[in-house]
Amino acid sequence: MEWIDQIGSAARAIFASGLVLSSLYVLIAAGLAIVWNTLGIFNFAHGAIMVIGAYVAWTVSDPAALGWGLLPGIVIAVATSAILGLVINRLLIVPFLTQPNLVLITVMTTLSGAFFLENSALLIWGPRIKQLEKVVSGNVSVGGTAISGHEATIIVLAPLLMLGLWAFLRFTWVGSAVRAVAQNREFAELSGIRTRAMYAVAFAIAAGLAGFAGVMLGAIRFITPGLGGEPLIKAMIVVILGGLGSIPGTIIGSYLVGFGEAASTYFLGAYWTQAALFLVFIIILVIRPNGIMGRK
Amino acid sequence: MTRKNLIILTFFALLAVLPLITNDSYIRHVSIVALLYAIVVSGWNISLGFGGVFNFAHLAFFAIAAYATGILTKTYGFPSWMGVPIGVTASVIASLIVCLPVLRLKGIYVILVTFGFGQLCLQVVLNQRSLTGGNFGFVQIPPLRVFGYSFRSDQALGYYYLALVVLILTILLVSWFRRSPFGWRVAALRENEDYAIARGIALARVRLATFAFSAIFPGAAGAIYAQYVRAASPDMFGFSFLTIALSMLLLGGVATVWGPVVGALVFAILTEIMTPLGPGRYLVTAVLIVSILRFFPKGLAGIPDGLATWHAKWRGQRLSKRPHTID
Repeated sequence: MEWIDQIGSAARAIFASGLVLSSLYVLIAAGLAIVWNTLGIFNFAHGAIMVIGAYVAWTVSDPAALGWGLLPGIVIAVATSAILGLVINRLLIVPFLTQPNLVLITVMTTLSGAFFLENSALLIWGPRIKQLEKVVSGNVSVGGTAISGHEATIIVLAPLLMLGLWAFLRFTWVGSAVRAVAQNREFAELSGIRTRAMYAVAFAIAAGLAGFAGVMLGAIRFITPGLGGEPLIKAMIVVILGGLGSIPGTIIGSYLVGFGEAASTYFLGAYWTQAALFLVFIIILVIRPNGIMGRK
Repeated sequence: MTRKNLIILTFFALLAVLPLITNDSYIRHVSIVALLYAIVVSGWNISLGFGGVFNFAHLAFFAIAAYATGILTKTYGFPSWMGVPIGVTASVIASLIVCLPVLRLKGIYVILVTFGFGQLCLQVVLNQRSLTGGNFGFVQIPPLRVFGYSFRSDQALGYYYLALVVLILTILLVSWFRRSPFGWRVAALRENEDYAIARGIALARVRLATFAFSAIFPGAAGAIYAQYVRAASPDMFGFSFLTIALSMLLLGGVATVWGPVVGALVFAILTEIMTPLGPGRYLVTAVLIVSILRFFPKGLAGIPDGLATWHAKWRGQRLSKRPHTID
């Protein structure tokens, strides 16, 4: 009966690490989905915003820098990220809104934005790697596998934040307005909704989420200017898988990719996992370009 | 002889005699790299500019060619003169593979798949450490040597002229492409896909041909680059390389024969001038891309026209002092 134990321990390990990964992807991909939904653009600077969020949190909280403690660090980091999102929206998106090939132009502008932010991070904070303090110290057992308290916090916070996002979009006036713009831009405008203001709201929320994800990631991995690159690409796979712009789809996609990655890492090893993920990603796009929950 | 041809001839005459004027190894290196960039970006212009297909795997073709050349000539003992044929073959095969999933897709999805393809290649390169050297890159690629003449001698003089000849061939091919029925089909698909298909243009066949044709150029450049610097590195699949090539294309102006060439050369010189700025030069690059897109969407080629319209608009605004947009 030894093999049953083996399968059991494998399943537990996959479950725990898959849950951590999925929760991180939810945080990152939700922002991409909101922006795609409302503005119809794909924000390649999303990963760079995560990087800035992580660095700002480090600067505020680390004893080697300002040393104000972790909580102010997180708050200031999320606020900075949201403001950064507004700036990106104003400089890289709004001037091009009237162009017919908006999607393609904003790929170039946000790619340049990412390039700008990552190199600014390199200039400001230097190439030395940094790491944030964990939000909660100690370990927690999830289904028999020990994970750090910090990772457990991410697992709990990610669905809560999604719930909050859903409540905001569902029950507040601004949330309804953002959804109205996403559903029918012209009609929303006719109803007196200031679409550009809603774009800004969507961008600020997405950037704030990215900043928070960056802070969470900065305590698990080392903070480098390239921190956002790999998670952004994973989030890209998530939103494609879930269907661009569908928030429920994005959440399902996050958990699929997270658990898939964890299982594949367990059985194939970390190296082949990346290649396998991309292969699956390309195959899915070919078979079902609109994703699991995609529309259009 | 028209004035335009005279300018072109002078331009290439200057490039051809440049090695006679200076033998400085630094200038030689910068000019070889600039020529190779011009080749790569001209190729990208075919799929992205003339074809309107946002193929973000173009720089991956360059990297694949460099790796293929390196691995086949070093590990498997192919003669070094086979470098360019190997590079072109590898690049064209890669382009056909990436084109197959793209046939059914549009807009943002094309970007995501082609971009994903580049990342997939990068992961494979990193995984196959014994074959590709993994993170450290593939080094000590045999240099190009024909009939006992090493292209490295005289401060890499051979590579300079090889790159120049390939660039001239590239320009000839692109000008042919622009006027050929094949080029018209490609442009027709860009302008109005549904109408072009309705008029009997085979989307799949034309798009496969566009990808394969545009991949010849990064293939040749990748092979020459690998044999010249004698290394291929995983960075070649990265974001920054892509951004630099993109800014060259935008700077020069898309869907023109000369735009990418001028863009690449001007940008290469700009980058050298900005070297003292360190990473700051990347910030300038990023600002440059966005400003070009914002104010001069047609690139350097469109600046005279752009200034004229802007001036006319400004005068018009001064004359009629009332808000002019409804927005």
